[in-house]
Amino acid sequence: MAPTGIGTETGAIIAGPALQKETGLANLRGIALPVALAAIVLVGWQLAVTLGHIPPVILPSPVSITKYIIDRYDILLMHAIPTTLESAAAFVLATLLGIALAIIITYSQIAREALYPNLVFFQLIPKIALAPLFIIWLGIGSQSRIAFSVFIAFFPIVIATTAGFANVDKGTLRLCRALTASEWQIFTSVRFPAALPHIFSGMKIAITLAIIGVIIGEFITAQAGLGYLIIFATARADTEISMAAIVVLCICGLLLYGLVALGESIANRFYSAESS
Amino acid sequence: MLAVNADDAAVSAPLVSVRNVQKTYFTRQASVQAVASASLDVARGEFVSLLGPSGCGKSTLLMMIAGLEQPTSGSILLGGAEVKKPRRDIGVIFQDATLLPWKTSLENVLFPIRILKLPIEAYRQRAHELLKMVGLSGFEHKKPSELSGGMRQRVSICRALIHDPDILLMDEPFSALDAITRDQMNVALSEILETYKKTVIFVTHSIREAAFLSDRVVVMGGRPSTIALDMKMPFPRPRRFEIEETPEFAMVCRKLRLTIEQAHQGPPSTSSVVETRAGESRAGQIE
Repeated sequence: MAPTGIGTETGAIIAGPALQKETGLANLRGIALPVALAAIVLVGWQLAVTLGHIPPVILPSPVSITKYIIDRYDILLMHAIPTTLESAAAFVLATLLGIALAIIITYSQIAREALYPNLVFFQLIPKIALAPLFIIWLGIGSQSRIAFSVFIAFFPIVIATTAGFANVDKGTLRLCRALTASEWQIFTSVRFPAALPHIFSGMKIAITLAIIGVIIGEFITAQAGLGYLIIFATARADTEISMAAIVVLCICGLLLYGLVALGESIANRFYSAESS
Repeated sequence: MLAVNADDAAVSAPLVSVRNVQKTYFTRQASVQAVASASLDVARGEFVSLLGPSGCGKSTLLMMIAGLEQPTSGSILLGGAEVKKPRRDIGVIFQDATLLPWKTSLENVLFPIRILKLPIEAYRQRAHELLKMVGLSGFEHKKPSELSGGMRQRVSICRALIHDPDILLMDEPFSALDAITRDQMNVALSEILETYKKTVIFVTHSIREAAFLSDRVVVMGGRPSTIALDMKMPFPRPRRFEIEETPEFAMVCRKLRLTIEQAHQGPPSTSSVVETRAGESRAGQIE
């Protein structure tokens, strides 16, 4: 991912010095190097499969995977759509839930003391182990996959958003009080914009977790979706389909992540400390 | 020799009246008395400085006048009404400019208008005028990260003036700036106040700054602190830098400095504890 300004992985930088403008050459290098490495790995893989006579059931070659994706894009698309939509739905719900919990934690001391330690404890449970329970509770439909995915994805948003809300400059809060600002005004005009870089860094982690959640759900229950396709193909020792589904899954993941990054750069235009 | 504002100060009742104010902070282990007893009147249009070393309770007193802190006992009256909470007719300027980093200068100046739910468009022209007044024309659409410390503090002065409050409360507004910028800001402030007449209470630990800007200087000192001296500044307005070179100015500064030293040496037990913060040593050197 290209550097997007305020929402770095640490999420803490808002007023830092401007990122050094990359020169054209360095920019080219930034693209050329990873592409070159990926190309070397792919060519090596292809050669190993062809020259080493590895059977396709163990490891299909990149060329044959690509060919399969092109030939059977209709089937792959059919399975990609529910996975992507369910991931997106789970991500949106996780974001709303995460921000709502962060607001409660920020504004209520009792909630903070009661809730926060439990949330952290909750986080220590290996959540994947709970996936089958969601099927008992919510059935085998998409609602149980989405619920499980929300359950996996909301935590980083709560943590990041709470940190963001707490990160507000004390002087600014005092200024707001001196201006007789209401809590709501302080929230909308100071706290929330100041927390945006943190919220976005939480969202970037959450989107990847949301996809993982949906895939795990599909492993267990689904009749459609890329997770289902992977399990189905693997059971029939059709490694080519499995690999093709994984490639498509990566593309869907990149797409969703890209949407979050796009949202961040739009927010950046209004809420960055840098000149626009 | 008499203060220029003396006659109009005498006419009306004081705008700000601090009556036997005492402030104690309670922590789990101990209680700390920040202000022992302070009484003070400020007339409409007057510029009064609260002068003293760091930690003498002058900022606490200012925050109580702003309604941001409550006195433990005593009362603060503003236009006859007791101050219980922050009021719209007060503009506060803090040591840090506390600008919103994602907003431009102009938007930061208009921030109080947004909070007070006044019509933004009606104040836009005034915001431009204020920024021009402090020499920031052309910087209206810059964000704080593109401005120097002095420029940011000037934006915050405009912000405090935008909704035309009667009273300006300034809490060591220039102490984070370098000495040269600070001198410039002092001149700029006195020019601003010649245009926009305000009642100002100004907290500082710089003797020279207090003497240059004020109609009256109130020296606070001792622990817990009380008001050690309340002195009129005998310099005519408008004031320019040249007055700082007069023997009269030097005499006033000397008197203020001696008062601060005496207030601090008062009971022998406290004289041994000397905190040497940057501000104190700086204030001590100035003549």
